[in-house]
Order: sequence, then structure tokens, then C-alpha cells
Amino acid sequence: MVRLALTYLAVILIVQIMRSIKRFYVRRFANNTSRNMRHMLYNSLVNMGKDELEKENLGAVMTKAIADVDTCVEGMRKFTTEVFDTGVVLAAYLGLLFYYDWRLALLSCIFTPIAYFIAGRLKARITRYNAEYKKSAGRLNNATMDRISNAVTYRIFSSEPNRDLAYEAHLTDYEKRAVSANLWENTMQPIYNIIAMCGAVLIIYFGAKNVLGTGWTSWNIAAFTTFLSAFVKMALKSSKAAKLFNSVQKAQVSWARIKPLMKEYVEPDTRTSLDFTQPATLMASDLSLRRPGSPPILKNISFSASPGQIIGVTGPIACGKSTLGKAFIGEVPYEGSIYLKERELSTLTDYERSKLISYMGHEPELLSDSIEENIRLGEQKSITPYLQAVCFNEETAQMPQGASTSVGSSGIRLSGGQQARTALARTLYNAQHVLILDDPLSAVDRRTELAIFKNLRLLAKDKIVILISHRLYLFPVLDKVLFLNGGSGVFSTHQELMRENAAYAQLYNAQIAQMAGGEDNA
Amino acid sequence: MPNQSGLKSVVLKTVSASKGMTLLTAIIIAGAIAAALFPPLVLERIVNRLIAQQQIPLNLALTYFGLLVVSGLLESGQNIMITKFGQKITHGLRSAMCAKIEHLPAAYFTGHEPGKITSRFVNDVDAVDSMFTNGIISMFADTFKVLSILAVIYYKSKGLGLMMILITPLLFAMTRLFQKRMLAAQLANRAAISKVNNHVPETIGNIRMIHSLFRQKYMEQKYDAYIEESYRATDKSNLYASIYSPIIIFISSCIIAAMMILAALDGQVQQFFGITVGTAVAIMAYVNRVFEPLESIGMEIQNIQSAVAGVKRINEFLQEPEREETDASITFTELSANPKLGIRFDQVGFRYDSKHTVFSDLSFAVENGEAVTFAGRTGAGKSTIFRLLLGLYSPEKGRVLVHGVDADKIPDTHKRELFGYVEQSFHLVDGTVAEQISLFDPEINRQKVEDAAKLVGLHKSILALANGYDTPAENAAFSQGQLQLLSIARAIAASPQILLLDEITANLDSETERRILDALNRVSQYRTVLSISHRLQEHTHNHRIIQIGN
Repeated sequence: MVRLALTYLAVILIVQIMRSIKRFYVRRFANNTSRNMRHMLYNSLVNMGKDELEKENLGAVMTKAIADVDTCVEGMRKFTTEVFDTGVVLAAYLGLLFYYDWRLALLSCIFTPIAYFIAGRLKARITRYNAEYKKSAGRLNNATMDRISNAVTYRIFSSEPNRDLAYEAHLTDYEKRAVSANLWENTMQPIYNIIAMCGAVLIIYFGAKNVLGTGWTSWNIAAFTTFLSAFVKMALKSSKAAKLFNSVQKAQVSWARIKPLMKEYVEPDTRTSLDFTQPATLMASDLSLRRPGSPPILKNISFSASPGQIIGVTGPIACGKSTLGKAFIGEVPYEGSIYLKERELSTLTDYERSKLISYMGHEPELLSDSIEENIRLGEQKSITPYLQAVCFNEETAQMPQGASTSVGSSGIRLSGGQQARTALARTLYNAQHVLILDDPLSAVDRRTELAIFKNLRLLAKDKIVILISHRLYLFPVLDKVLFLNGGSGVFSTHQELMRENAAYAQLYNAQIAQMAGGEDNA
Repeated sequence: MPNQSGLKSVVLKTVSASKGMTLLTAIIIAGAIAAALFPPLVLERIVNRLIAQQQIPLNLALTYFGLLVVSGLLESGQNIMITKFGQKITHGLRSAMCAKIEHLPAAYFTGHEPGKITSRFVNDVDAVDSMFTNGIISMFADTFKVLSILAVIYYKSKGLGLMMILITPLLFAMTRLFQKRMLAAQLANRAAISKVNNHVPETIGNIRMIHSLFRQKYMEQKYDAYIEESYRATDKSNLYASIYSPIIIFISSCIIAAMMILAALDGQVQQFFGITVGTAVAIMAYVNRVFEPLESIGMEIQNIQSAVAGVKRINEFLQEPEREETDASITFTELSANPKLGIRFDQVGFRYDSKHTVFSDLSFAVENGEAVTFAGRTGAGKSTIFRLLLGLYSPEKGRVLVHGVDADKIPDTHKRELFGYVEQSFHLVDGTVAEQISLFDPEINRQKVEDAAKLVGLHKSILALANGYDTPAENAAFSQGQLQLLSIARAIAASPQILLLDEITANLDSETERRILDALNRVSQYRTVLSISHRLQEHTHNHRIIQIGN
């Protein structure tokens, strides 16, 4: 007996060790797959251009696809595992049953398909009840948010009591739907089990006959118990197969979404024949800008700049000044020529362009990381001079964690002015030969803006700065001004424009007058 | 009264309000536990009969099956009852929390983000629900299940019973260890995945910066670091998940092997462990049944632990200090009886917090039917005057009187007929366009809503919407100017006696500005009008200016 028991244990041990190894490696394989899929998807995402992402809402599609990776891999894993755990095991049990008594095996197994059939019929209903429950939950959440965020409004308008009644109605509806969804979900599994177990009655009845020698075959008591327990295990296992099909189906759906987005891994191209150590000059002639399929926004614009110069670009609202800035980073196609470092801008690779031009737009575009990391972005040199340049060093020093303070998601923990200064510090820290600054400091007060401007002069003494702005009080001290109006542009100095361009003079004078008025009010 | 209420009292109230259901739940759970015990006993009889070479009558086979059915159904019933019970508590808790809103001071809503308060209503209450359904109640059920199985084994074979009683706590300890380790790994994974998921929209939002600074590689490395973090955590949790079930199966096999060996021994030992073949079959079935509830208990402990924080937050919310009660004895007739008394601020002192005094000694009076504009720099407290008038805050000293009654004593129910408040920015509520104006007040019927809309000149634009007044407001795509007009319509819908106009800050084009101005002029007739200075004020005539602050 001892030997038999030990053999039994040894067999179980070996089987279970193998089983745990199998379980682990199937899981690790899934984990690897998920990592690789995420890696590939992200690579293709990060190398997409802004217009590409905005087109057909591809950004949202990518976000969903990446979130889908888990469902997809989970389905793959379950499928691989269950092919063994359910498929092979079921086959083995079935084989065993047939070996012991094929007639009884056939008879007892006919109930399982019935369970499947009923499950299939009820699935739609379960899904519907669940969907209704989810919808009710959504309504309740909206009602909660509404009740709370408008609490004061409701109070002022004497509406709190009737809102509370409406909320109570939502609660009652939610309770009802939660219970009925749960009822369908929970009642079904035991009922499938019951149906599948109908076979047990036959086994006990006819199996007993086998043992007593009056049945189809002759059994001993061990055969009886083995047959019964193998059947019970099989019945319970097969009732779980429906769940497996579900998750495999889900995986297929998500894989269909992911597949077209999986592309060859791309390494950004960094080959170049240019020497980036020397300052560059800029020459734009006869420039026209248009978005594909629309009339030109700007026509016949010419201007030039040499290292150390700051060029102001301005004009009335919607004159195309931001569009001009975006032409420098390849977001808006241009006709005519932008000559930079003896090369035409449109012939530069993304890498070369990024080594010549630094751009800062209206949006601060901050990552949810520390202030310091947002400026460095992986580089190593010290950020202190740049924090000083944008007048942000004292404020950061007062923060509990200094420049290591996290800016929060999209910079939410910083004020608008702080976000703008962090973004400007980042642009200066990574500054190349041409700086395109599109209204960088509209969120900063005037005194700070003046101080930052002085620092900018110093930091950019061998660079070209194109300062796009609607605030004109700095323009008298800029080297050149490009005034855009009605689709064309005048390139001159502030003083000359004041003398010769009535529209510019009017814009400037109106702003200065308003500013003086504003000062009085403050 | 509601001040004392916490989670505990809500639960007790729910239980005592539905005594029948509580009792039924208890009975079904007890039934489910008992029913699960019987099938192996019938099996034992069947096997023992077979050993004795006796035929099995069909009804014994049917009994076996019948017991399986009953036990399965009772198990379902148990799940349903527990869900029902949990939902009752959830409902009661949310009702109690909703009732609390009315009693919270206005300052609570400025000091707390609506999203966070909502999360207490939604997530924290859900956590409490799962604490009951997948926690406390099921833990009771599972504990009894384990105990009853141990009792049956002990009754069948003392030796094995003792062995099981010794082993079960060890098994439980091991289960808990695995569960804790797995939870830690899963939490680490969840944290990493949320970083992964956050990084994607962030990349999309910042793609211009990434490309213009050529940081594709940098972003990818960051991303890879996050997925690596997730990979490691998942790998760890996979390891535990992969070996747990094989270990349990091996242990149960050891128990069965021990039973086989000991049962086959001679003499004293045999007597202590001795069992028939049928009993052996039954015990094997029981041994296999112990593990499932043991594992469940572990998960239930975890659920309870993770709900503790939610319970604490809910109790905090329910025990927030409440605002002072208004004087319910003040009737609307009484309020409108003395319009001659107008509005008076008598040496009012007020501050929001201990540091910043808004007013130390503010006095002014506004006659009935007069139009007055408050002027002063930002932060001088112009909006505060309105908040005091509306009774949202109480003065620290002095008195704020409306028609001779203290403003903070006026019951909420009379506010709308007394004041029409045009807020600084329009608060869109969850409902149709008509409900934006009526604010769900049953007194304000469709006719009144349309009259208000006509008065502000919105009637035609509303009729032009897909479903007219019944269009859901979020689909109506109102312009800033139209929202301002809607705000005015909302304020005048109940024909209030006093109009409070807060600064309109939106940038409006001159045409819209003119329309708002016209609307304001129309609605200001025959009313007391208090407004806070804004650009429109220049066009309104005959206003007296009250300067606030220096």
C-alpha cells in the first residue's frame, strides 16, 4: 500500500511540476508578446507626423490599439493554455470513459451539448442585461457628477429637493438593473453544471449494474469510482469552455484592430552631410503658403536674417503668422524658397531640420515628469542658466522639491505662466541655430517678459530668433519686423514701418494706448 | 441628526428596513452550505452498497443528482441574495450621501474638486459594496463551509479529521502568502500600465515638440522602461499564479495518499483512521472541496482590506460639518410683504479664511425697484456681496437683510422666487434645453420656460434645434452669447423680485453684446437690479454706482 501511495504521489508530483512549468512559460510567452507588440506599436506611433495623427483620428485609434494589447494577448494565452488544459484533458477523459464503457460514455455525455445549446441561446439576453446595467451605471455617474458640480447652482435656484428625488430615481433604476444583470450572470453557471451532471444519474445506475455484473461490461468498484470522478471533472471543465470561446473571440476582435497598425520597426534616420557647428543664415524669398486644397494664406513673402538677429513677425488676428512658423517645421508646405545653411529647407531630413531649427508653439507640450526632465529630455548639461534665463529659477527653488517637482499631467500642477516658461527653457536648452518662437510668453506678465527678452538676446547672440507675437511693445527694439497683412508681408524695421505703413502704425498705437489704459485700471 | 450618521448607521438602517430579506439571505446561505455537504455522503452509501454487491435503486441515483441540483441552485440563490443585499446597502449609502449634499456649506464645493467628491459616491461606495458582497458576507459563508467540511471529515474518520484540522491553517497561511505576493506584483503592474497608458496620449498631444526636438528615441526609451517595469511585475505575478494551483493539487494528493496508507495499516492505527471504501470516496470529495473556500477567504480578506480606505473616506464625507439651518418658519408671503425695506448691509464684516478679510465694515442700502452697480477692483469682494445675499455664506459680523429678513435664514425653497441670479459663467446641467431654464422645477412649466426664452430672444434659435426644447443641452452647440442669454432666461423663469447680475467675462461680438444688453434691459423692468461692473454697464442708464474697497 505504501509503495502504491508513493507511486501515486510521485506521478502527481511529476505531472504538477510539468504543469507549473508549462503554465509559467505560456504566461511568460504571452507577457513577451505583449511587450513586443506594445514596443512595435509605440515605435510606429512616435514616428508619425502631427497631420498624420490628426487625420482620421488616428491618435485615438492608436491609443485604443495599445490598450487593446492586453485583451489580445490574454486571449492568446488562454487559448494556448486551454488547448492543453481543456482540449487535451477533455480528450483524455473522454478516451478514458470510452475505454471503460463506450455505451455508457456516449449516453452520459449527451447532456453536455444541451448545456452548450442553452448557453448559446441565453448569451444574447445576458449581454443585453449587462449592457443595460452598464448604461444605467453611466447615467448614475453623470447624475452624480451633475448633482455635485452644480450643487451651488441648484441651491440658489431652489432645486436641491427635486434633484435629490431625481437622484433617488437613478439609484432605484441602478439597483434594479444591477440585481437583474447579476441574476442572469450568476444563475447560469450552476444551471449548466446541473445539466451537464445529468449524466451522473445514468452512470450511477448503469455503472452499478456493471459492477454487479448485470451491465454492458464488467467493472470492479475502482473502475466505478474512476469513471464517475472522470465524468464529473469533464462535465465541470466543459462548462467552462464557453468562457474560453468568449475570450478568444474578444482577442480576435482586438487583433483585427491592432494588425493593420503593426508596422516594420523604424530607426530615425540621422545620416547627414551638414556641419552643424557653424551659425546659419536664413533667406526666404517669394514664399507662398497654402494648406493642401485651400487658397494661399500668404503670398510673395521675402525676408532674411543673419546670426544674432531677432526678427519680429506680427499682424492682425488670422493673418497667417502661426502658419509661417509651422512652415519651418514642415507642417505646412511652401512654394518659393527658404534657404538655410546653403540648403533648401524642404530638402532637409527631419533630423537635419531638427538640428537647425528649434520651434516653440502656443501649447507648452509638457510631459508628466519633473520640471528638470521636461527641460533636459534626456540630455545631461545643467538647466540652471536656462531657468535663470526664463526667470523661473527663484520660483522653482521655492518649490518643495525644486526643479524635481513634477509638472503633473500636461503640466496641470503649474500655472499657465510657469508652463510657458518651462517650455521656453526647454526650447532654449535645446536651441539650434534658428529659434521660431510663436507667442511664447502670452501667459507671462510684462515685467517678466521684458527680463526674459533681455536674457534671450544674450543666449541667442549667434542665433536667429523669429519672434511671432501679437504683443507689439517689444517690437521697437527688434532688429527687423515682418508685418503680415491681407495675405502679403512687408519686411522692414519697426521705425520705418511706423512711418510708412499705416496699418502697422495703427495696430501699434492702439495697443500702446490700451496698455496705458490697462495700467491705470490695475 | 445626519451629523451622527456614518457607514455603520446606514448599514444598520438598511438591515432593519429589510428584515425579511436579511433573514432570507441568512437561510439561503445556511442552506447552500448544508446542501453542499450531502452529495458525497450519498456517494458513500452508493459505493458501500456496491461493495456489498447490492443493486443501486434508481431513486438513490436520483437523490444524488437531486442533491447536486439543490446545492447548485442554492449556491446561485446565495449569490443573488448577496448581490441584492449589497445593492440595498449601496443604494442606502448613496441616498444618505446625496441627502448630505444639501446640508454642506457652499464653501465645501469651492474647496473640493467635483471629480473627487463624485469618486466618493461612485468608486468608494462600489468598494464598500464589494466589501459586503465579496468580503464580509461571503467570508462568513466560506468559513462555515470549511468548518462544516472539517466536521464531516472528523465525524467520518477522527484521525483524518485531526490531520485536516492541523493542515488547514497551514494551507490558509500559504494561500495568503501567495495572494499577498501576487497582489503586490499586480499593483506594481497596474502602476506601470497606467504610466504606459498615460504615455501614449501624451506622445500624441506633444508630437510636434517630440519631432521638432527630435526626441523620438528618447520617448521610445521612456516607453520601453515603462513596459519593462510592467513586464517584470507581470512575470513575478505569473510565477506565483503558475505554481499555486499545482502545489495545492499536490498537497491534496498527499492527504489522500496518507489516508490510503493509514487506512491500510493494522491495529490501533487502523481503528483511528479506519474507513470503508465508500467513506474514502466521500472523503476524497470533501478534501477537494476544502481548497476552494480557503482560496476565497483569502481574496475576501483582501477585498475587505482594500475597502477600508473607501469606508474611511465615506465616513469623512458623511461627518463633514454642516451649514447652519435656515429658518423654515419664514414663509414667502412674509418675505415679499415688506419690499419697502429693500436690501441692507449693516456694518458687515466677512472673511473666507482667517487670514484674508474681505470686508471689515460694509454698509449700504438698496431701495426696492432700484438699479445699482457695484464697482471696484478684482478681489474687492463684489461677488462676495452676492454670495452673502444668496445666503451661501453668513456674515461674520453685522447683518445682511433682504426685505427685513436675515439673508442666511431664508429657506432654500424661496430663493428662486426672490432672486434671479445670472452667474458669471453658465453652468450647463445634465438635461434638455428646457431643463436648463426650468432647472427641473415642476412649478416652471413649458409655458413659463418658453416665455423666459422669448423674453431673452432665444425662442427661435431653440425651436430651430433638432428636438426644439427637448434637445439634450450638450448637443445644442450654444455659442458663448447664447449661453449668457440662457443664463438670463434661467434667472427670470420664476419671476423673481430681485435680479443679481454677475460680471459677464466672455468675449462677445458686438451683435451678441447688443442682444444681451437688450435682454437685460427688458428683464430689469419692475425689479430691483444689482449688478457687478462689466463692460455692458456703460450702456445701462440710471444706475447708482456703489464703490467697493478703495
